[in-house]
Order: sequence, then C-alpha cells, then structure tokens
Amino acid sequence: MAILLRFFRRFLAYRTSLLLGLLCIPLAQLCDVGITLLVGDALDRAQDASDTEWMTRVLLLMGAYAVGHSVMRFYQRWLIVVVSRRVEVDLKTELFGKLVSLPFAYHDRSRSGDVVSRVTSDVEAVRMVLGPGLMYTLGALVILPISIGYLFTINATLALMMTLPMFTMGLTMKLLSGRLHRQSVAVQESISAISHRAQENFGGIRVVKGYAREDSQADQFEGTSAINRDNQVLLGNARGVTNAAIYGSFDLTFAVILLIGGLAAVDRTLPIGDLFKFIDLTIKVFWPLIAIGWILGMLPRAVASAERVEELLNEENPIAEGHEKIARADVRGALAFEDVSFTYERGTEPALSGVTVRVEAGETLGVVGPTGAGKSTLINLVGRLFEADSGRIHLDGHEVRELAFDALRGTVGYVPQDSFLFSETYEENIRFGADHEMTDAEVDALIERVAMKDEVACFPEGKKTLVGERGVTLSGGQRQRTCIARALARDPRILLLDDCLSAVDTETEKELVGSLRSAGEGRTVIVAAHRLSTVQAADRILVLTRSGEVEAIGSHDELLEREGWYRDTWEQQQRTESLSAAVNDEVGGAA
Amino acid sequence: MSEAKSEKEPGGALEIDRSELVATKVWDTSLFKRLLTYARPHRRLFLKSFAVLSLLFIGELLGTRIWKGAIDGPVAGAADAEDKAPFVQALLWWVGAYVALIAAMTVLRYFQTATLNKTGQAVVHDLRAAVFRHLQSLDLGFFDRRPTGALVTRVTTDIESLSEMFTSGIIALLFDSVKVLVVLGMLFAIDVDLALITMLTTPILIGISLAFRGGARRAHREVRARLARLNGYLQEVLGGIRVVQVFRREERVAARFNEALARYFEANRRTIFLFALFYPVMSLAVYLIQGAALWAGIGSIVGKGLTYGEFVQFWLLLNMLVRPIRELGERYNVLQSAFASAERIFQVLDTAPTVVPPATPAAVRTAPGQAPHIAFEDVCFSYVADTPVLRGISFEIPPGKTVAVVGATGAGKSTLVNLLLRYYDASSGRVAVDDVDLRELETSAFRARFGLVLQEDFLFAGSVEENLVMDRSEVSAASLAEAIDAAQARDLVNGLEGGLAAEVAERGATFSTGERQLLAIARALAAEPDVVVLDEATAAVDSATEHRIERATSRLLAGRSALVIAHRLSTIRGADEILVMARGEIRERGTHDELLAAEGLYAKLHALQYAAASA
Ligand SMILES: Nc1ncnc2c1ncn2[C@@H]1O[C@H](COP(=O)(O)OP(=O)(O)OP(=O)(O)O)[C@@H](O)[C@H]1O
Ligand SMILES: Nc1ncnc2c1ncn2[C@@H]1O[C@H](COP(=O)(O)OP(=O)(O)OP(=O)(O)O)[C@@H](O)[C@H]1O
Ligand SMILES: [Mg+2]
Repeated sequence: MAILLRFFRRFLAYRTSLLLGLLCIPLAQLCDVGITLLVGDALDRAQDASDTEWMTRVLLLMGAYAVGHSVMRFYQRWLIVVVSRRVEVDLKTELFGKLVSLPFAYHDRSRSGDVVSRVTSDVEAVRMVLGPGLMYTLGALVILPISIGYLFTINATLALMMTLPMFTMGLTMKLLSGRLHRQSVAVQESISAISHRAQENFGGIRVVKGYAREDSQADQFEGTSAINRDNQVLLGNARGVTNAAIYGSFDLTFAVILLIGGLAAVDRTLPIGDLFKFIDLTIKVFWPLIAIGWILGMLPRAVASAERVEELLNEENPIAEGHEKIARADVRGALAFEDVSFTYERGTEPALSGVTVRVEAGETLGVVGPTGAGKSTLINLVGRLFEADSGRIHLDGHEVRELAFDALRGTVGYVPQDSFLFSETYEENIRFGADHEMTDAEVDALIERVAMKDEVACFPEGKKTLVGERGVTLSGGQRQRTCIARALARDPRILLLDDCLSAVDTETEKELVGSLRSAGEGRTVIVAAHRLSTVQAADRILVLTRSGEVEAIGSHDELLEREGWYRDTWEQQQRTESLSAAVNDEVGGAA
Repeated sequence: MSEAKSEKEPGGALEIDRSELVATKVWDTSLFKRLLTYARPHRRLFLKSFAVLSLLFIGELLGTRIWKGAIDGPVAGAADAEDKAPFVQALLWWVGAYVALIAAMTVLRYFQTATLNKTGQAVVHDLRAAVFRHLQSLDLGFFDRRPTGALVTRVTTDIESLSEMFTSGIIALLFDSVKVLVVLGMLFAIDVDLALITMLTTPILIGISLAFRGGARRAHREVRARLARLNGYLQEVLGGIRVVQVFRREERVAARFNEALARYFEANRRTIFLFALFYPVMSLAVYLIQGAALWAGIGSIVGKGLTYGEFVQFWLLLNMLVRPIRELGERYNVLQSAFASAERIFQVLDTAPTVVPPATPAAVRTAPGQAPHIAFEDVCFSYVADTPVLRGISFEIPPGKTVAVVGATGAGKSTLVNLLLRYYDASSGRVAVDDVDLRELETSAFRARFGLVLQEDFLFAGSVEENLVMDRSEVSAASLAEAIDAAQARDLVNGLEGGLAAEVAERGATFSTGERQLLAIARALAAEPDVVVLDEATAAVDSATEHRIERATSRLLAGRSALVIAHRLSTIRGADEILVMARGEIRERGTHDELLAAEGLYAKLHALQYAAASA
C-alpha cells in the first residue's frame, strides 16, 4: 500500500486538475442524492399532484440536479483520467530513460518481453488503480456517509442495520484477497509468457520456417495460451465468489429494508416516500460500492505491478559516469590496458585475464584469436559497456571510469559485430552517428566511402529507403558497411571495428581496407578480425588465447617470426591461397 | 513529392502503418457475427451462460414482484387496520420468500461470473491460437515490413482487450436486448401511459450511442495503433542498446520515444473526452426517463389509482431497464476498444500469404535419406516491385554435389537461399525439385529435408539442447552428438555450466558471434539433412576451426547436396561447381580450376585475395 502512495505522489504534479476533478465527485453525488430525495418527497405529496405549479417546480428542480450531475460527472472523468494518463506518460518517459542508461549486463540478464511488460501492462495496472480507481473509491466514500447519514435522520435502526451486509462484503473480500493476489500474479506471468513466446517466434521466423517448425511452434504457443486460459478461469472463479458476495450483500440490504422498513411502514412510522428513499439511495450507494469491490480486486495486482515498476526505477547503474571532463577536441586517443581481467556475470570462466596492451594515439591495433577468445569483450570494455573486474584502462592517461561519457564515448566510433541497424531510413541510420546535423553531401561522401554508392542508388527509394527491423532488408555486407559509415559519421578519435568485414567480398574488402586506412589516418583504431589480411597492416597485433590471455603482441612480421597461433593461422591461410595460386600459375601457363 | 514528405517527417520509425487506421468497411454487425463464429464451438458454454442469465433475470423480476406484493399487501392493508399482527405475519412471509430468493440468486451470481468468464476465455484462447497459427503461415515479406514488438501486441494486448469484451460485454449485451424487451412488456402491463412515456425517450438513447459510435471507434483504433508502435519502438531500442549507448544517443532515442508517447497520449485523450462526455449525456437521458416516469407516475397514482406498490415495482423495473443503458457507458468503451482490436486481429487473419501452399501438395520424389535434384530455371525475382534482385538465374544442384556461390555483397546470394527455401516466390521462372515446381510441393515436408545455416542465424531463449534439436523427432542423441562434434562445438558445450541443458539468453546474447555460428551449424547437421545450405556459415569463425568443420562436415555429408555461400574462396575450393554472381546475374560458372583458367571475375577476386594476403 505504501508503495502505491509513493506512486501517487507523481499525481501531485498535476494537483490543480486533480483537486478540481476530485471536487467534482461530491458535487455530482450531491445532485444525485438530491434527485432521490426529490422523488421521495414528491411521492409523499402525490395527492397534491393536481397542483401543476408544484409539479413543474419538482420537475424543473430535478432537471437542474440532473444537469448539474452530468456536468460534474463530465469534469470528474475528464480531469482525473487525463491526469492519470499524464502520469503514465511521465512514468514511461522515466522508465525509458532508465532503460537506455542501464548497462548491458542488465539487458543481458533480463528478458526484453518482461521489460516491455513492466513498461506497459504494469504501468497500466498502477494507473488504473490510482487514477480511475481513486475516482470511484472517492465517489463511494463520499456518497456512502451522505446517504447513510441522511437515512439516519429518517430511521436510525434501519440505517444502522443497512450497513451490516456491507461488512459481510468487506470480510469476504478480505478473506479472498490472498487468493485473488496469487491468481492475478499467475495470470500476469502467463501473459508475459505468451508475449515472450510470440516475440521469440517472430524474431526468429526465418529459422522457424527454415526448419519447418511452424506447426510445432503453433502447438507450443497454444499450450502457453491454454495455461493462460486456465489461470484466467481460476481467477474468474475467485472473482465469481467476490461478485456473489457483493451482490448478495446488496440484496441482503434490500431484505433488511423490506423487513425493518416494511414493519415500520405497517406501523405507519415510516411514510412510503421515505421507504422509497431507502430503496433508491441503496441502489445509488450500491454502484460505487461495486466499484470499490472492483478496485479491491485490482489492488493486489496493482501492488505487485508497482513493485515491478519500482524495481526497474531503482535498478542501480554500476557503471556510473565519471566526473573528469576533457574537451572532445583534446582527446588524442592513446589507449592502455593494464592487467585487465573480466568475467561476464553469467560466464563461468574469465573472458579476459590479465590483458596488458598499449595503443598510441593514431596507431592501429589488430586483435585476433580463436573463436570466443574475448576480442569483442576487449572492444566493449573501451566504451565501458561492461566494467573491467580488475586492472585499469586508460585513455590519454586518464582512467576510463573517471572520465565523463562525453569525452569517452563521445570520441568513439563503434561497429558492432552484429551490425545492428534501426528500422529507419537508410540515411537516418548513417546520420545517427553524427553529433551535428550532416549535410546531404557529407552523407553521400560517406556512402561512397564505404563503397555503397551504386547499391544505394539501386534501392527502391535511394537513401530514403526504410531498412527493416535490424536492417533485415539489407544484405549482410550492406549492413556491415552501413555500420561503418555510421561510425565514421561521428568523426571519431577512436575507431572500434569488431569483425566488421566478415560479410564483405574480397573486392569490396580490398576497397574498404584502403578506405578505412585513409579514414583511420590520425585515428586510433582497434580492429578485431578473423581474416589476418584485415589486420596485417596494423601497427601492432594482439593475439588472444582461447582463455582470454595474451599470447603475443607484435607487428605482423614480428609475429610471423615466432611459433604460435598467428604463424599457424597465417600459414594455413597462405597455404590454401598459394596452393590455388600455384594452380593458377600452372593453368595460366598452360593457357 | 514523396521526398519532401519524408523529409518533413523524420520520425519514419514512429509512423504507424496508415492502413491500420482505415476502417475495414466492417460494420459492427458483421464484425460481431464474425466474432460469434468463434463462439460456435463453445455453444454449450454459451447456452449455459444464457441459462444462468435467464434464471438471474427471472429472479430479479420476482424480486420486484415481492416488493409490490409486500407494499400493496401488508403495508397498504395495515393502513386502516387496528390489529397489525396478521399484517406483520404476512410481511414476514414476504421477507422469508425474499431471503430465499436472494440465497438462490447469490449462487447463480457466482455461476454468472464464472461461466461467462470461462466462455469468454475459451473463445479468446481459440482466437489467439488461430491468429498465431495464421501468422505462422504468412510469408517473410509480411514480417520484413513489421516490427516484432508491434506484431506481438496482436496476440497480447489486442487479444486481451477482446477477452474483456467477451467476459464482461458481449454475452451480457446480447442478453440485455432480451431483458429490455421483457422489462418493457412488464412496464406496459403495470401502466400503459407510464410505459409509453418512458418508451418515447428511448430513441434519444439510441441516437446518442449511434452518434458516439463512429468517433469512439476511430479514436480507439488510433490508440491501438499508437500503442503497438510505442511498444515496437521500445523493443527495438532494447535490441540495439549497445549501439545507443556507445554512440551516446540516449537522448535522441528518448526524444523519439517521447514523441511516440505524446502521440499515444493525444489519441488517448480523445477517447477520454468521448467517454467522459458519453457517460453524462447518457445519464442525462436516463434522468429524463425517470422524470417522465415520476411525472406520469404521480399522475397515475392520483388519477387512475396506481398503487404505491405498483409505483415502486415500476421504479425498480425502470432501474433494471436503465441500468444496462447506464452501464452501456462503461461497456461501450470496452466494446469500442474491443472492436478496434477485433479489426486489427481480423486484418491479420485476412492477410493472405503471398507464398500460397498448393491445393494438392505433391511429395518430393526422392525418398528421405537421399538428396533430391534441385534446379533454378531462369529465375527472376524482386523484393520490391521494379527493383530486380535476381535476373534470369539458372543452375542445378545434382544429387550429392556441392554448388558454391561467390560474388560481391548485395549480389543476391542470400536471395537464392530465400527462394530455394520458398521464403519468397520467384517472379518468373521456377525452382524445381526433381523436376517438380517448388510451388507444387508441400513446403514444410520439403524444408524439413534441409540443414540450414543462415547468414543472420537466430538462437532462441531456452536450453542449448532445445536450440539444437528444435523439436525435430529425426534428431537422435547419437546424431546430435555427431553434429556437435562436426561443428567443433564440443568444447563450447562442455564448457557451459550444465552442458546441453545450459540456458541460452535471448538471441544467444551470452555467446560470442563465432560460438553462435558453431551452434547454428550443429543445429543444421543434427537431423542428417539431405541438402545443406550454408550462407556465410563460418564468417565469424577462426580459420583453424573453420578448416576442421569443413573436414568433418564433408565426411558427414557424403552423398548429400550442398549450397554454400562464402566470401573466403578458400572455403569453397572443393565445390563441384562455383557460381560467380554480380548484380543478380551469374557471370561465370565452373570448377575452381576452370574459373581460374577463364581469367574472369573469379580469377580477379582470387588474385585480390591472394594479393591482400601477401601484401
Ligand atoms: N554477455 C555475455 N555473458 C556471458 N558470457 C559471455 C557474454 N558475451 C560473451 N561471453 C563469453 O565470453 C567469451 C568471449 O566472448 P567474445 O564475444 O569476446 O569472443 P570473441 O573473441 O569476440 O569471439 P568471436 O570470434 O566469435 O567473435 C566467450 O566464451 C563467450 O561465450
Ligand atoms: N527482405 C528484403 N527486402 C527488400 N530488399 C532486400 C531484402 N533482402 C535483401 N534485399 C536486397 O536485395 C539485394 C540482394 O541481397 P542479398 O542478401 O541476396 O545479397 P548477398 O549477395 O547475400 O550479399 P552479402 O554478401 O552482403 O550477404 C540487396 O540489394 C538487398 O538490399
Ligand atoms: Mg548474404
């Protein structure tokens, strides 16, 4: 409950609208009660009905109440519900800001379906209870004492007895709240399972179809959906009990009125008009009460949801921005790793252990090694996507964790290995990288630089063509080159290239290596690759072992001189090539 | 023109698919009818619901009758009597009857909620499964154009909004019409004038709801579409969080998100306004009815000897009549929102796949276990009209042979794979399997014979074993072990905590790219496929491992066909035929040696690679 109060504080940002809206509630209720009293009195004076003036007055008054009621009702809903939506906007904005700032380790361990459901259905559950829910509750809390109080003045015993069934209702709700809570949580989880399954399926649809798994996926989905159905049915049964209790106590109230009111009427101590008031006010009290029952039913779920939202809001960001500020122009780009070790949160063995390597400003460092050696990890540590467990990483002599992100990430151009693109236009994906508004000429120059000019010209709408989610409508090599263009767009001091030419053909590779070399002129470059030809020209090459240790560091020629992974791999790559070269010569000679 | 437009709207990603907003020319009634077809299999549940509702209704009517009886009987009778005892006695009988009635109704009320809910959930579950199943049958062109997050909303929030309608709306609504008629009849029985006057006001109510309907639906439709977009964007940003953070674009994506959020809020505001207005207008109309009833009622009491009991019964009945109308305000909102969702759902169900399964599917002629003969015959293809990607491609993969494809990026190599697996259909020409057009084969049976490694492969959240087996009964423990060995993934799997049972994160995020490829290769080999398709399968794998994989797979795949796409020429030298592609055409073909001899494109590529390696 306290947690909901904390969320309610967000509503106070709109206190004027909220207060006005809340004020409308009692006014609307009073008008409503007024009508009942009017009709009751009219009944008692029915014999005077020949008096048309009186009748007109009653009807006019009733009309005025009715209009008042309606106007108040409108403002009540309009003001309060809009405020609740505004709070929703605020919350979602804050959650989104939080999400984009959380480190990758968080995103690694959380399921995106779950995160999305926190931002959507959990926020909605909280909004419902605090916005419209509050409105209904307040409505009930206002009309209840007014009506009962008024009825008290007519017949105290009857009014008192009337409240008894309501206690029955409260008790039942209390008894059932545990069960309701459990079942709503189960329902919530099964919904989240459905969305998780759907998302995985749609994301991997090519694989699903390629393996003809559509039917089995549909069966599995149906199973998940059936679990949800069964949970919903159980929850519905629990709701059935509470509903029966609510309506039962309502009917029981009528029975009390019939008994006590009837007895009093028989005794002639209660005029028929008053009996009418009892009946009609009960009906009017009843609907808000049902609403309260509805809110009480939602409360357990809202509390659970609020907890999930708050958990996300309070998620600590262990990768805090440093305070040391360097102007971006002053960053030279010398990087140094000193005895850096790192183990992934979910990893069993260290991905990097005791790595020490220096890259002077303007130098190129090649990173090679077997699959899973830790090349990407090393690259990710530079931008502090993950934080090294031990050891230090320096940029121009400053420790990276002391640096403001602006100096650190602001000077880095990054080409991820999975070549992620946004589902925006081709051009916007490149502009994404630039800190300034790029001119069309600059964009065109970059497109040319990554050897995509001809291909982009062939796209249906040129560079305004939308690329699908993650760039699915581009070929693998096109995606990679677009990522390179995006990285170059920010004119970085440090260029991080994570296996960025793996999906590019030899001719384009050749072209790109040349282009990157000239682009890398004066920049610090770290390039991870499997094809040694990509790193061959680097000033220094770092060879990582399978377990993430440094096997050797040196230039291409130095590395060839000693025994080890580099020479073996080089020879292997050479052997296949020279073999075919020999064939080439032979065939060429024969021709 | 179109350029100017897209420049003005940089939020291309935020744009909702306008087609989602267009009314699908479906009137409520036909939408309603269509929804009811999903109810048909659950007829019994529906009948049960109606039975419960009818009993409850009768109970409510009886309740008003008891009030009339009690007021006109003992209460009125006692007026002039000296000895009140018999009247008290009579009143107690009435109260007794009332309490008995209440007890019965309370039980019925439980069944009302439980049964209605059960019915609704049953229907909704069917619908959800149907939508998902239908989505599975759609072609990749459909998925290419839609963000995953937005598609997910179709089977989640859209369906949930329907569920609300089924549980709290549609049955009750159907029943309400019956109710209104009966109650009206009873009103007439009590007092014709009173009833007539009441009835005259009903057209007002109907008019109001009709007036609101169009606006409300439009507004809800927009809310649904905006919400789907918002969630889609959130999902997308979560997927690219590394890029966002390293590029320091947190603020930019947040600005985008907020823009989408603002549009969603605006759409919401419209529904709130309509809803806020609808309710008071309805209740004003209700007061009008009540005022008319009061006026006429008092007239009748005085003029025509209407009893007080009858008036109270009339008032209670009126409440029964008015309650559904009042509630309609709430229900209407649910209903309009549900209808908007129903439209979106039916839109998906009405999307016909462009890759159509044949009416009478043929089986692949070659028996499983043997490689079929595959041929591309003068195939042309374009993803988007007027931008041809493949032009007149012809080649064959004879049984047991390996065909390799090389060529510039964007030449259309992966597109060949897309066509071979019938992800898309060729615009002209045909892909033939044992001389039967692919379009006449049973697609899933055909695909099941493939072992596939895509350029962008995908690991599912779940266990490693689930990812490798993929629910295929053909995969035995032995073939799985063999595949893992051949893919050089043994060390990887053994190194995982729990081995094969180890958990895989979404998209395999906790593996390195190369490791993901090893697992994808193992998955492709596990079912002992007849044809293997490898699209840049080892692009992120080191040479030594790659070499070992090649040796192991060629042993494993003896006698099977293969289509191999690679940029590293070393990986395809052993192929029986090599196709060199450029700009959607096959420029050269032959074996490695023949191609080198031809001194064409291939020889040039080769020289380049060689030069790069020794430069
Ligand atoms: N998010 C993660 N959580 C846990 N373990 C991880 C994560 N990312 C990578 N690993 C593990 O850390 C090791 C190093 O991974 P990394 O991605 O750095 O390798 P790599 O050298 O880039 O490989 P590749 O050549 O395949 O790209 C691998 O064994 C991998 O399984
Ligand atoms: N789903 C799609 N929708 C629209 N266009 C597409 C789609 N997929 C690919 N294309 C376009 O078709 C062309 C051929 O792409 P394809 O993926 O077949 O190239 P590729 O030869 O495999 O290249 P790479 O070596 O880079 O992987 C490219 O210009 C690409 O932009
Ligand atoms: Mg490709």
